[in-house]
Amino acid sequence: MNGAHDLGGMHRLGPINPESNEPVFHQEWERRCFALTLACGFLGEWNLDMSRRARERMHPAKYLQTSYYEHWLIGLQTLLVEKGLLTEEEIARRMSEIGKGETS
Amino acid sequence: MSDRHEHAHLPDTVLRVKALESLLVEKGLVDPAALDTLIETYEHKVGPRNGSRVVARAWSDPDFKQRLLRNASAAIAELGFTGRQGEDMVVLENSEKVHNMVVCTLCSCYPWPVLGLPPVWYKSAPYRARAVIDPRGVLKEFGVELPETTEIRVWDSTAEVRYLVLPMRPRDSEGMDEEALAELVTRDSMIGTGLPLSPSQVPSSK
Amino acid sequence: MRVLRASDVGKVLLKGGPARVDTQVPAKFKPGDEVVTRNMSPEGHTRLPRYARGRRGVVKRHHGVFIFPDTHAANGDKNPQNLYSVCFTARELWGEPASEIDKVNIDLWDDYLDRA
Repeated sequence: MNGAHDLGGMHRLGPINPESNEPVFHQEWERRCFALTLACGFLGEWNLDMSRRARERMHPAKYLQTSYYEHWLIGLQTLLVEKGLLTEEEIARRMSEIGKGETS
Repeated sequence: MSDRHEHAHLPDTVLRVKALESLLVEKGLVDPAALDTLIETYEHKVGPRNGSRVVARAWSDPDFKQRLLRNASAAIAELGFTGRQGEDMVVLENSEKVHNMVVCTLCSCYPWPVLGLPPVWYKSAPYRARAVIDPRGVLKEFGVELPETTEIRVWDSTAEVRYLVLPMRPRDSEGMDEEALAELVTRDSMIGTGLPLSPSQVPSSK
Repeated sequence: MRVLRASDVGKVLLKGGPARVDTQVPAKFKPGDEVVTRNMSPEGHTRLPRYARGRRGVVKRHHGVFIFPDTHAANGDKNPQNLYSVCFTARELWGEPASEIDKVNIDLWDDYLDRA
């Protein structure tokens, strides 16, 4: 796929800015997203190449504007929905409930 | 525990992760204790100290170094570092003539058992874009300048083979034991974007 | 469906998910062979980066037989084939202004390569 993930040689992306003494995770949601992706991979409903493909299918503009674990999150949701394990509607409903503090 | 104030203004990404976890646990597809164990493993147990031990062993044991260059997966397994994202390892030896540097332009492939999870910059668009077209510019940004006559060999990890750079042993490190040598090995020196420390840069070493 | 339990995490991570396949598939190339990568733009998943399509390189290392990601991502077909490390000069990839001595090595499968 000629997507935004295929970055080799692209110009104008700016400096690399390595962070010194960088923590493994920067935010709690990154920890959970990382672990959820590995745990769901174990279900055996898809393989690693399908996970990569799910992330690559993001819109190129969005891919470049989001972080690595956001790519994982979007890829994971795509696969969960496509395999029928969750629906977009129940995810949206649960997000709204959590946002309103109706559930944790 | 629900707290209206706590969750009132959470960003969409945070809500989405919470929603996925909550639904998957509810359906019995995910064991929350397994998530905690996964996080604990990669946050505290696996990291570049493992790779440092591999490099220090190679610096001090010529037979191990031979095995490492011939069959890296087996040699690294001697130290107990195996498994996910390190199933097929290849070790690249730096010399005065050749400097190796590793990237994954298509995603972020990285040898987890020896280096842990990759830093943000390794996964970032600028590194993935520039490492292959402008490796000398990238190295400069990391404070490394190599002679024009040193060949830079970039390895784009497009497959499931995982690469670890074996940096050159620093001068003035004669007589140091394996444990002290390991202190000189930085994560970046094993990716190829850095060089090992010299003994004078490590306060605790002799 | 298998659900990952906390007590199995250590074992599962140690086992990993090897992409190496224990089958004999005749290798199309050997180290030293000159090859040219295919010029292709599949809509599906591929691990042949755009910057290395239609380029000439030299096979440096034969890694063995591995799952082919293009078909594996599409429908789970492992389609095992030989994987090689192929060396390209910076000039071949990026043209005249690039370094005369620098190289890029890329891991590529049989189906991405033709004899040069």
